[in-house]
Amino acid sequence: MNTAWRFAWRNIWRNKRRTVLTMCAIGFGAALIVFSVGLQLGQYDLMISGSTRIFQGLIQVQKRGYLNDARMRNTIPDAQSLAKKIRHETAINDIAVRANGFALVSSKERTYGVAVIGVETQYESYVSIIPGLIKSGRYLSADNANEMVIGRSLAKNLKVKLGDELTILGSGRDGSIAAAVLPVTGVFESGSRELDRSMIQIPIKTFQETFSMQTHAHAIVLYHQNSALLEPIKSQLDGILMPMNENLVAVGWDQIQPGIKESIELDYSSGWFIYIILIAIITFSIMNTFLMSVLERTREFGIMLALGFKPLNIGKLVMMEALILTVFALTIGTLIGISVNYYFLINGLTFEGMEEIAAQYNMPATITPQISLESSLLGPVTILVFTLVAALYPALKIRKLKPVEAMRHL
Amino acid sequence: MINSIRLIFALSWRNLWRNKRRTLIILFAIILGVWAMIVTAAFMRGMVFQMLEDTVDNLAGHVQIHHPQYLDDPVIDNSFNPQSAAVSKLLQDPRIALSSTRIRLAAVIVSERESSGITMLGIDPAQESKVSFIGRSVVEGRFLDSTSDNGIVIGKALADKLQTRLGKRIVLMSQDINNEIADRGFRIVGIFDAPLDPTEKSFIFIAKDNAEKMLGLKNKASEIVLRLHNTDMVNSLVNDYAQFDKNIDVMSWLKAEPYLEMMIELMDSSMFIWYLIVFLAMAFGIINTLLMAVFERTREFGLFQALGQKPGFILFQVWLEAVLMIIVGLVIGNILSWLSVLATGDGIDVSVFARGMEMLNMSNIIPFVITFDDLIVANLTVAILGMLTGLYPAWRASRLVPAHAITRI
Amino acid sequence: MRHLVIQIFSFLLLFHLAVSSQAETAAQLIRQAMDNYRGLSSYSEASMTIHRPDWERVMSMKVWTQGLDKSLVRITAPIKDKNGGSLLIGDNMWSYAPKINRVIKIPSSMSNQSWMGSDFSNNDIARADEIINNYTHTLLETKKINNRLTYIIQSVPNEDAPVVWGKEIITINDHYVLLKHEFYDQDNILIKTLTASEIKKVGDKYISLKQRMQKTDHANEWTEVVTTVVKFNVTFNKNTFTLSNLRNPR
Repeated sequence: MNTAWRFAWRNIWRNKRRTVLTMCAIGFGAALIVFSVGLQLGQYDLMISGSTRIFQGLIQVQKRGYLNDARMRNTIPDAQSLAKKIRHETAINDIAVRANGFALVSSKERTYGVAVIGVETQYESYVSIIPGLIKSGRYLSADNANEMVIGRSLAKNLKVKLGDELTILGSGRDGSIAAAVLPVTGVFESGSRELDRSMIQIPIKTFQETFSMQTHAHAIVLYHQNSALLEPIKSQLDGILMPMNENLVAVGWDQIQPGIKESIELDYSSGWFIYIILIAIITFSIMNTFLMSVLERTREFGIMLALGFKPLNIGKLVMMEALILTVFALTIGTLIGISVNYYFLINGLTFEGMEEIAAQYNMPATITPQISLESSLLGPVTILVFTLVAALYPALKIRKLKPVEAMRHL
Repeated sequence: MINSIRLIFALSWRNLWRNKRRTLIILFAIILGVWAMIVTAAFMRGMVFQMLEDTVDNLAGHVQIHHPQYLDDPVIDNSFNPQSAAVSKLLQDPRIALSSTRIRLAAVIVSERESSGITMLGIDPAQESKVSFIGRSVVEGRFLDSTSDNGIVIGKALADKLQTRLGKRIVLMSQDINNEIADRGFRIVGIFDAPLDPTEKSFIFIAKDNAEKMLGLKNKASEIVLRLHNTDMVNSLVNDYAQFDKNIDVMSWLKAEPYLEMMIELMDSSMFIWYLIVFLAMAFGIINTLLMAVFERTREFGLFQALGQKPGFILFQVWLEAVLMIIVGLVIGNILSWLSVLATGDGIDVSVFARGMEMLNMSNIIPFVITFDDLIVANLTVAILGMLTGLYPAWRASRLVPAHAITRI
Repeated sequence: MRHLVIQIFSFLLLFHLAVSSQAETAAQLIRQAMDNYRGLSSYSEASMTIHRPDWERVMSMKVWTQGLDKSLVRITAPIKDKNGGSLLIGDNMWSYAPKINRVIKIPSSMSNQSWMGSDFSNNDIARADEIINNYTHTLLETKKINNRLTYIIQSVPNEDAPVVWGKEIITINDHYVLLKHEFYDQDNILIKTLTASEIKKVGDKYISLKQRMQKTDHANEWTEVVTTVVKFNVTFNKNTFTLSNLRNPR
């Protein structure tokens, strides 16, 4: 068997220029796809961590059914102790409890309906960037403080400034009136006009007291920057929650914000559509190479057949040549692709105009490609499959060769 | 001279077809490449086109006029007089093709079972139907027929949410000019279907006169939306009237969609890079194929030269083979692209990704748009680069030394 | 509250309708009845029970009403909600939250939200005069229930009335007690029902002391109001229906 490989290897190099050109085509395709997929996946990582980092987190623990029916009474009992327990058992610290309500907030001049979020003041900044986006004043200081932070657009619309008091009026968990008067201690600007106009945050214990929640809350938000860990962390959470309370579930960001997941899928599918076309073009490009290298050796094969070689073995030989050539080219191409990815991993990739958009959506302005099994191998393996199928065509032609005729070939 | 050229053409063409299989294979690669270039370009243009259409159509118009504080605080107090001297003068600008004056305020719509916060639009149906999507989106019932029509037109998704239907009555509630509750019953006379669900859920249409009556407004509007004759006029118009009158604010639709602007700019440069990549993928094959063809005919070329043909002749002839191949590939590739695009009709349906598309503010049907510019760039890229590529094998053919060539096996 | 109010004036309505079931005449008569009624006032004390599958809440309250468009509700128990309440004048509603010592005007967008978590909406509590102005009333039938003559009246909202219902059916007995008030959607499906019971005579009027509001699709969710004290023709202080009274009970 060893001889066969050596034989194949030497055959390839019998026509240096042709082989080199063919390898270039394959290597080029491989490098390009590895880089491109790496970039795409890196971009998705960015999108996911970007949007989960703003507010919704990677995973949330909620009462079963809360996701589709966000009623005040679908609560998690004893939320803060549960959060503590989860922090301890998963060794993840980026976990915060939240309570969600809807209320009217009034200043002297105006009244607006807003979402009221009760937060754990110490932990909220680990799961959301909003505490870090305070533009004037400061964020909330303690879980039971009489404080409130609101968005800039809301402050403007209500015509209030730091220190002014706002009245909150809504319905509590048991349907009773929930009312509070709190001073504006901080104003945030999240970049999203929607958030800035329709959300206020107050400390969790203050929320619980105002809305008759006792120790209940609505969500325990968990953030992790590696979105690939979604499933493992979810299972771990299920393990912790199941025995305690079968009414609690862990929901992932893809369930909370399905639009993001689908736009990623859309982008990835269209990417692959393009890659396949490219691979097809390359395949046809090099098919002639394989074809020629077989046809021009017709006489040679004829002699080999006459000498007793089985057609199958000659076919195998031809496939081996294709295999060696392709794998060799793929390796070089893939390595080049990975190196380019690595370079941008260290240095980050930007192109014109990205900075402004990134600033607007609060995302970092550079993309780092993802170097993973998927980005490094998926493309090359696909190319391998295509090229081997392309090589099959000439290999099969060999079976039709008749030794005597073949030997007489020019 | 002419005869030589005719001869060369004939020779090149026939040489191409001497090895049918080889030529067909590489032709296939070229056709696939050209098709890929044109169709993907058409798809991307279609996406952008659709995004633009959706934005402009979706009530934004090209240019919007508001009270200076309306955008930050879209309440009834921030209305302006649409018949003031300034506005009337503005509306006479020749660049404006159509306009629609609207009362646009937050309100609550209530049915027997549900209520929902929506944006109420009090409009003149004759104006509005020409300016935005609503004119052609009514799928059940009818659109409003006058400025005093007592009906209401709501979106399909909203009707579902409210558990109501065409012909039923609903109640609209809002706050009037005196900060009092203003409410009134309206019968649903039409249901519209918009590409995006949120559009159907957020907007309802009533006749302007009824909106004015209900809210106690006289000679006040929330916004005027303008459609210009040409998108290129937007910036100049906005600039001209930016400081026109302190009671109004004139804004271009692009201000609302900076993301779109960036996408459009990026598109041209990334399109060109894509073309290069596709060409490169083809180029290897072209060179290889031609080289092999040349190699096969070494003896022949040697013979030609021995017989007195200049090397230039051979170079031209081989080069012409490359050129002919490319031209055939281009022609067929273009025809196939055109046919594919025709076959997709209005566009392809990507509703599998519906929620993702919603995030991008795009509808689920993406049309293919072949622009003249894209066609030219794609064809030129392939033609020019192809011709350059063909030079290498041609040059090699012409460098064959007759004696060596003839004695080659 | 609204239903107390409907009950009180309905006897006038009924009296005239019993005479003729023609809509136009009925409308004229209603107008007359309204004019007569404008002078009516009442004071009552009641307890409201809000029942849900997993909990129940009871509130006690005092209610003052004047004519069709003024009423004041003040909560007296439990401690958590004590002294809170609502003031209704015409179309407007204000709520007072003692915990924060603030009065808030309830904007129109909240009028469909539940009042204090009950099955009555803010709208139900506030808009008493709608029943007259915005509907066309017809007497559907007269029958005997429990040996009393009972009238079933159908009220259909006018075309541009700010009422969502397809129709409302009111059942009144000849003591002018509202026995039932049914709310139908525009497909004639019953959405919610107010049922009255425990009928007693107070002075020269008959009143139902217990009323339950129940949505048709949720059998285990209802709100019941039980009136313990009721007086009519009460004279009020000039200040009774004012925001300062809402805030500072005397």
